[in-house]
Amino acid sequence: MKTGTEAGRLLERIACGESGALEQFYEAFHGRVYAFVLRRLNNPADAAEILNEVMLEVWRSAARFEGRSQPLTWVLGIAHHKVLDRLRRARTANHEEITPDIAPADEVSAVEALAGAEDAELVRRCLDKLTDSHRLVVHLAFFNDLSYHEIAEIVNCPLGTVKTRMFYAKQVLKRCLAGQRPASL
Amino acid sequence: MNNRSQHPDELLPWYVNGTLTGTERDAVETHLAACERCRGELRLLTLLRQQVKRAGGGESPGELARLKLLHAVRQSARRRLVWPLALAAALAVVAVQTVLLVNLWRPEPQAITPLGSLPGHEAVLQVRFAPQATEPQMRAVLNEVNAVLIDGPGPLGLYRVRLEGLDSTQRDELDAAAAKLKSRGRVVRHVAIE
Repeated sequence: MKTGTEAGRLLERIACGESGALEQFYEAFHGRVYAFVLRRLNNPADAAEILNEVMLEVWRSAARFEGRSQPLTWVLGIAHHKVLDRLRRARTANHEEITPDIAPADEVSAVEALAGAEDAELVRRCLDKLTDSHRLVVHLAFFNDLSYHEIAEIVNCPLGTVKTRMFYAKQVLKRCLAGQRPASL
Repeated sequence: MNNRSQHPDELLPWYVNGTLTGTERDAVETHLAACERCRGELRLLTLLRQQVKRAGGGESPGELARLKLLHAVRQSARRRLVWPLALAAALAVVAVQTVLLVNLWRPEPQAITPLGSLPGHEAVLQVRFAPQATEPQMRAVLNEVNAVLIDGPGPLGLYRVRLEGLDSTQRDELDAAAAKLKSRGRVVRHVAIE
């Protein structure tokens, strides 16, 4: 398990049972994992609980990290699966790929949405209106600055699906920010 | 110019977060230089990224969550430590039991070769104790027949004990002492008169 990164070395030490290394790993990643889960579940208590589950999974499974991906990608992949499990149990998940009914002719221009994008509260409300799979891609791309390859790895879907989800998420956001009622949400 | 195929819409978000490959980035920049519409898209996406980052990840789950995790990890670490020790202990018990069972399952010697006493001299018994017998138990049963340990254990786990105040010619007393020891089956497994 050679990754050449500091986080990778932490995972090596965690795999050897060093709880101190897990504390360092937690310090480095808990914020991003928590934010990722919170954006999906919208429930701080559930997010904190899943963060705990994710870190325990890291503790148990660090030896399985092979360094083929970045540690952040790996740990967010774990978090993604925990979130899906939670959503399935709660039966609130919408696993169907919903493609907003936005024809090219309906496209809102970026200029129309720019003013709305200045309003942080409006942006937050518009993000909340996205489907889980669309909000997930936006969060990973803009909060975590991950590449579409990394996002595809976390979400376990084809690259094209990541790009398509982002495209439709942007269309819905533009419509929402421009003050227009979304065609289908 | 609303045709998706003519604009790099699917790459723009990753141009904004700086994760495109060099080739992809070059292609996007070439297009941006000539496309006002995509420059508008770029401005919007850049602003959206700033807002998402500003919104942050919410409040930290707090010190309690961290402590809860560390507590669980320490418990798990203890289990990691205890498990190999428990396994080693269990294997040791199995090994000891195997040795004891092999010894116990050996046929009782029909006649045990005397280890060296001479007729008319010391009254000596050969005794094999139960594997689980403790030293106080062994000492107690020997005291009952006024015996003292003089040798052992030998290769078969035999001890030699001398019956104080008796000699080898006092067969009845020897038999009685041997019988008494044999009756203490939880401590004594075998008794023979030399």
